[in-house]
Amino acid sequence: MVKYTINRLLSGVVVLFVISWITFFVLTVIPGDAALLSLGTDATPERLEALRESMGLNQPWYERYFSWLTHFLAGDWGNSLFFGEEVLTLIMQRLMITVSLAVFSLLLAIPVAAIIGILSAIYQDKWIDRLARTVMQLGDAIPQFWLALIFLVFFSGKLGWFPVPGFIPVEEGWWRSIQSLLLPSIVVAIGLVGYLIRIIRSSMLSALEQDFMLMTRVNGLSSAQAVFKYALRSAVIAPVTTILMQLAGLLAGTVLVESIFALPGVGRLLLVAVEQRDVILLQGTVMFITGVVVCVNFLADILYRVINPMIQFGGERNA
Amino acid sequence: MSSKLMEVRGLTIKDSSGTVLVENVSLELNDKEFVGIVGESGSGKSLTTQAILNVLPKSLQAEYKQLALMDRSVEGLDAAQIRALVGREIGFVPQNTVSFLHPLIKIKHQIGDAYMRHMKKSRKDAYAKACRLLSKVGIKDPDRVMNAYPFQISGGMKQRVNIALALMTDPKAIIADEPTTALDTVIQRQVMDLFDTMNRLEGVPILFISHDLNIIRRYCSRVYVMYKGKLVESGSTELVFSQPKHPYTRQLLDSTMTIK
Repeated sequence: MVKYTINRLLSGVVVLFVISWITFFVLTVIPGDAALLSLGTDATPERLEALRESMGLNQPWYERYFSWLTHFLAGDWGNSLFFGEEVLTLIMQRLMITVSLAVFSLLLAIPVAAIIGILSAIYQDKWIDRLARTVMQLGDAIPQFWLALIFLVFFSGKLGWFPVPGFIPVEEGWWRSIQSLLLPSIVVAIGLVGYLIRIIRSSMLSALEQDFMLMTRVNGLSSAQAVFKYALRSAVIAPVTTILMQLAGLLAGTVLVESIFALPGVGRLLLVAVEQRDVILLQGTVMFITGVVVCVNFLADILYRVINPMIQFGGERNA
Repeated sequence: MSSKLMEVRGLTIKDSSGTVLVENVSLELNDKEFVGIVGESGSGKSLTTQAILNVLPKSLQAEYKQLALMDRSVEGLDAAQIRALVGREIGFVPQNTVSFLHPLIKIKHQIGDAYMRHMKKSRKDAYAKACRLLSKVGIKDPDRVMNAYPFQISGGMKQRVNIALALMTDPKAIIADEPTTALDTVIQRQVMDLFDTMNRLEGVPILFISHDLNIIRRYCSRVYVMYKGKLVESGSTELVFSQPKHPYTRQLLDSTMTIK
């Protein structure tokens, strides 16, 4: 287990390193002159040259990469060209919103998906299962941006149940703050529910077919014990891993939803960085998101081994 | 007058498309008997016992003229009552090949479930009784086995655990469905001797399903021969094996003779 953990950590570091190199390289080769962008086309060649020199743009790429990497590791992620503030500060300011959005939407999606998924597996081909399959199809088919716009117009605009788009900071009352995140969370959750039902339903179905379920009936155990102790113990593994993967995706930014609901989150920051050709901000944000995804995947792997003792104790030979 | 612990008359099992899998089977298990059901795989042996235990897969339909457990017709009992009756009074020992024990739950956390439910006992009582039974079926370090996951113990051990689990509720009868199939000869012999001891010393009646004629001949006093979903022959083991009437039984006997 310890050896495995160390291996996984090391491979995470390698991934981060490779991604850092790729983003740096791509941002260097794409056309566009950061000095020109920053000063505008009216700038004199002398001023441009001076800025290029001070930004280090005249050095060869590997020296620039190395210098960027050492600063990056020291926590100096540079100043955003567009905002003029430190990249790390900008990300941290927006992180809470993205984390809240991710956590809220999972908190909404998981119980709904668990209940529907488990019931539809137990009552396979009955009405609840047909309903679940319809929900799955709808969840897959409805585009998120469309749903977001419809919800916004209907629930926020027409019915006035939710505040107008925009984030209300916690300082203005935590309930109002949560309220401002509720509608976008619901939109994200609807996108997740279909997928989660599919995973939960299928792993529950395969658990119910296992021989130990025949034994629970022969031994006269209650249906509740058979389902919640025996079937669920097997069925829980795949969904837990999937949910953590989804969490990684959500933390990487829900760009569409953040944009439509005017939430200043990490996804939105990434969008601004691209729109404004803010290379430094873009590099920092991409690295941050990569780091988050690598960390969550690492956690998912470790957790997977904790909840599945067959792997932990090397039992796969017998399994 | 011996009591009938299990009796089924005119059992027919069909799948959802109406195909007949088991046709008009009648069999019984009386007190203190060691009865065998022999037949090739797919002959309906397991389905028959699953129907008796009321645990057939949902996709299959069973009909019978009569089904009695513990000398008592199940007519008038609802599903939950039958389930409780089966769980308490009949011990089921499954095949060893696949995971009839939950692979991700420690043995101590699953061996006592039926016992605690049907006998209204505490977790502590269940642990103590399970250890006693594990020793009885020949496990020398019950505590280690209790704290292990099923994949951490050998096939022979696992089958002993299955037998101990079946004995937890002090069942009045045991059904064993090919319990020795995946075991090597030495362990197979030990497990069979265990069944034999339970039957002879404690008088526990056993319905024993196997495709292995040698085992049936050695241990069972009475035998049913099944072939393609039908009961083709039955009677005392001696008689059936010395004067087989049905061509299939003869074929079955001939094939084992040739191997010898």
